[in-house]
Amino acid sequence: MGFLENVRLALTALRANKMRAFLTMLGIIIGISSVITITTIGNSIRKTLSNTFNMFGMNSFYAYLTVKDDLTEEEYESFDWSYTDEDLISADMVQELLDTYPGQFKVSLTSTSDKVEIENSIDQTINGYLYGVTDGAEDELKLDMVDGRFINWRDHREQKHTVVVSDIFVNQYFINDENPIGKTIELSLTKNGITQNFTIVGVYEYDETKLGRFDPGTKEIEKETPFFIPYGTSQKLTGQTEQSYEELYILWNTDMGMESAEKNLTEFFENQYTTNKYWQIELGNQQELLDIIDMVINVVTIAISIIAAISLIVGGVGVMNIMLVSIVERTKEIGIRKALGAKNSSIRIQFVTEAIIICLIGGIIGILLGMGSGMLIGYIVKAIMSAPEMEEYVGIISISVEPSIPAILISIFFSMLIGVFFGYYPANKAAKMNPIDALRYD
Amino acid sequence: MSNTIIQMRDIIKRYYIGKPNELQILNGISLDVHEGEFLSIVGASGSGKSTLMNIIGALDRPTLGSYSLKGRDIGKLNDTELSNIRNAEIGFVFQTFNLVARTNALKNVELPMLYAGKSRKERTQRAKELLKLVEMEDRATHQPNELSGGQKQRVAIARAMANNPSIILADEPTGALDTKTGRMVMDIFHKLHKEEGKTIILITHSPELASETERIVTISDGSIISDTGVKA
Repeated sequence: MGFLENVRLALTALRANKMRAFLTMLGIIIGISSVITITTIGNSIRKTLSNTFNMFGMNSFYAYLTVKDDLTEEEYESFDWSYTDEDLISADMVQELLDTYPGQFKVSLTSTSDKVEIENSIDQTINGYLYGVTDGAEDELKLDMVDGRFINWRDHREQKHTVVVSDIFVNQYFINDENPIGKTIELSLTKNGITQNFTIVGVYEYDETKLGRFDPGTKEIEKETPFFIPYGTSQKLTGQTEQSYEELYILWNTDMGMESAEKNLTEFFENQYTTNKYWQIELGNQQELLDIIDMVINVVTIAISIIAAISLIVGGVGVMNIMLVSIVERTKEIGIRKALGAKNSSIRIQFVTEAIIICLIGGIIGILLGMGSGMLIGYIVKAIMSAPEMEEYVGIISISVEPSIPAILISIFFSMLIGVFFGYYPANKAAKMNPIDALRYD
Repeated sequence: MSNTIIQMRDIIKRYYIGKPNELQILNGISLDVHEGEFLSIVGASGSGKSTLMNIIGALDRPTLGSYSLKGRDIGKLNDTELSNIRNAEIGFVFQTFNLVARTNALKNVELPMLYAGKSRKERTQRAKELLKLVEMEDRATHQPNELSGGQKQRVAIARAMANNPSIILADEPTGALDTKTGRMVMDIFHKLHKEEGKTIILITHSPELASETERIVTISDGSIISDTGVKA
């Protein structure tokens, strides 16, 4: 008797008692759909995070000040956990790093923003934001230059009055289509009215997905875009004198590779801090952070999935229960089949197939339901994120809803396994029935 | 004399062996059945005829004695081999028809062929022929609960014929039918016997029905008390 005959037989038997078949499946449906929902959510969170991190760029380290890990117990106890400017990463140290490995590293320092305004030749006021940055910001913000160059380290060190403006600003300000590079513009800080001249050295493309969306219907002249000036210059303007840093965002040249970048940086900072008794510099990487988050999500997903899988076992017991009832009900049929020449194995296969079909149909419904609810949750989150109030996150969070394919395959396999496991005992009971007693059963 | 199909020697069947309520149902039955015979086994209820039928039909093994069916010793076969014997050599017709529920007439007739591993096409074709033989071809797609008793029994007879067995074993086939439909069923057996040359064993408690057959074996208290032998 072929495989298809058994499947047909099983479907006929299930059709005969649809309600019961469905209720039996329900346990499996709930179990599988919760596993799939959880894995879909887990998978989506992971995808979203990795997308978001990728947008920030992966070729960077955080260098941060931390207590040395080889302190003796005495040193540890006498240590007062304070640090002075001497312990921090000094601007000179940064300069030395850049000089030691020319062209290999970029350091990104970013100041808080200040509102500025400027008038064009037809007396229109253009508003914008002033950011103090160093060369690393170009990579950090993933800016695309359309003309000229970005702010470099020298601009920062020498506190030059250079500025990089957006293509939008070029259209707002240069009405006559002039070449903006080399032109001097007069920016005034809105908060104190201080006016400074800056020379345009570059133009970047304003990408709304990276730098934030404008409200729909914003007039071209009303669009406010960032002006990037050297970090040193912005400090001078705002009267700050910070020349040392607790933490630093360092980008490496992609040619170098992460391992040698990490090795070079570690060596460099170790040399700088050999004489420091208590403090050292440690490096953090987004990949490491991402790996940790990934692991946490995995563990949580698996843990919750296992809990959900317990309901699968409950569902399986339900299948077994119904199969046992069904076999008693169909004792006569089993007797007839045996009298007509069905082997024990034919009967066993018939009932195991029936149990597998119940579980498989339940499993497939569960998968569809789980994918549906997982994706629904994902889209709700997506809808919330795209609300106007969430505008500032649009650029930095890219939500991706994806069901986990391995989880789906495992679920199908697992539901069939449950069918075999919980179907075998009742089926075997049916197979071993004495044909004479079975025929006589009423 | 034609070939011997069934050869039974000193068949003893006991139940509850080794227990205080041990029961001996058959007390040494010896019986030969030849190919093409139409014989009846007659006995009151409790005489052991059902037990004998179960053994003849390879549903059960004798406790002692030998039973060979077409030269194969049934007592020595395992469950799977017994299944194969039932499938290929025996066609059962029961008092209560025993059609599989929710399975139409055609599919019921196909069942023995399904277990014999015949192809779908072959099964359907043969089942249609058999339903025609019992004049049930126009009810092929009917479910058992849509058929009358006589119709069910005719389907059951067609099913018994499916694998062209050596023996048709009919256990009170008219017991649940009225006189008229019972007559119709008996006529089919006669037809199968005469036209197809089938060996038919009819188990009944009715001497009237038995008298229609060629040979009457009477059984009482687990022993054969009379055997008319093959009529000339």
